[in-house]
Amino acid sequence: MNPRMTEQPLGLMNDPTCKLPSGDIFRKIFEKIQTAILIIDPESHRIVDANPIAEHITGRNRIELVGSMCHQFVCPVKHGECPVIDYHEEVRNQEGTIINKNGENVPILKTVAKVDIKGKEYLIESFIDVTDRKMAEERQATLIAYLSESILRVKKPLELMSDDLRQIASLAVAGDYDAEDIRMQLQIHANNLDQIVKNLEELKEKAVTEKPVDIPPEFRDFLRGK
Amino acid sequence: MKKILASNCTPLIVTVNKPNKILVKIYARDGIGSEAFYIVDAVTQYSGGECTPAPKVKYVNNPSNLTDLGIAITEMLKLMPHGKKCILFDSVSMLLIHIPSATASKFLHFVVNKLKLSDVSGIFLSVEKGLDPVVMAQMSASVDNILDFEQVSSTGCNL
Repeated sequence: MNPRMTEQPLGLMNDPTCKLPSGDIFRKIFEKIQTAILIIDPESHRIVDANPIAEHITGRNRIELVGSMCHQFVCPVKHGECPVIDYHEEVRNQEGTIINKNGENVPILKTVAKVDIKGKEYLIESFIDVTDRKMAEERQATLIAYLSESILRVKKPLELMSDDLRQIASLAVAGDYDAEDIRMQLQIHANNLDQIVKNLEELKEKAVTEKPVDIPPEFRDFLRGK
Repeated sequence: MKKILASNCTPLIVTVNKPNKILVKIYARDGIGSEAFYIVDAVTQYSGGECTPAPKVKYVNNPSNLTDLGIAITEMLKLMPHGKKCILFDSVSMLLIHIPSATASKFLHFVVNKLKLSDVSGIFLSVEKGLDPVVMAQMSASVDNILDFEQVSSTGCNL
């Protein structure tokens, strides 16, 4: 919510050049703004108004939204656990989720402001859908995870193999070797190199298709700094 | 190995790195006879080498065959004489060639749990920074200590 709107709500209405009734102007802004807005009665926990973007994100039309209880309908928190009404917390640009009509949690970034309208307190819950941002984060996490896995399964073993091959070479130079021992070790390294090539191909394929299922949730959290 | 043996502990070497035949020669050079340790060897067959039957050796066909590797470790621990036992896993880094880190993490967790239940010690070798933070975190939760070999060498700390 633009702070100027809350701090100086009467500025526009006092503008002598403004010919539109104030209600119409704010209604137009409410309808056209590209941020979802729900106006909630904190006493009843009921939605008293919703703009078109809120309808779009929730997948419910205004008729369905208005008059409905906010918790467990569009908000995943339980009755009595509202961070704003029950815990008196400030919600400003907080990540959260909203439940859409299909019961899916849509990631959002929301701010809740208390306003006084005609002597009654309301909550203005404004939010934007951050699904694309979350997908980008997920994609980044996936790619970093595969990069990390490539280092573990390719770079480190190659370093070990390189050291081992040097040792084998030094044994050969010294003439202190058993041909079968050398053959076995070279064969192991050859097989390992084949496996490393397969690993690289597999990792490339997974990175391209971005199969998030292969990333352990702990690693995902680690990448996100949690 | 010398420190393990000096503490009257019987070592079981689980190798996914060097074949049994070569390990025996390496240890023999340091005066450690093959009678002193047990081996679960997951690379001889993988290298096309001959899996010569030996009472203290069990072979697994491939390092990626975690089921057989787990069974071989369990069976070998039962075969070993009573008293202090220790597993030397060589190495976690090379195991990662054959299986994804998430699978390796689960397998190592399984092995560590088995060791704890059997009151057996274990040393899992890995190259420095050769484990991802999750594997490290999971291993840290199960193991007693993570030792940096360079630090151990410089401080003279015993394993």
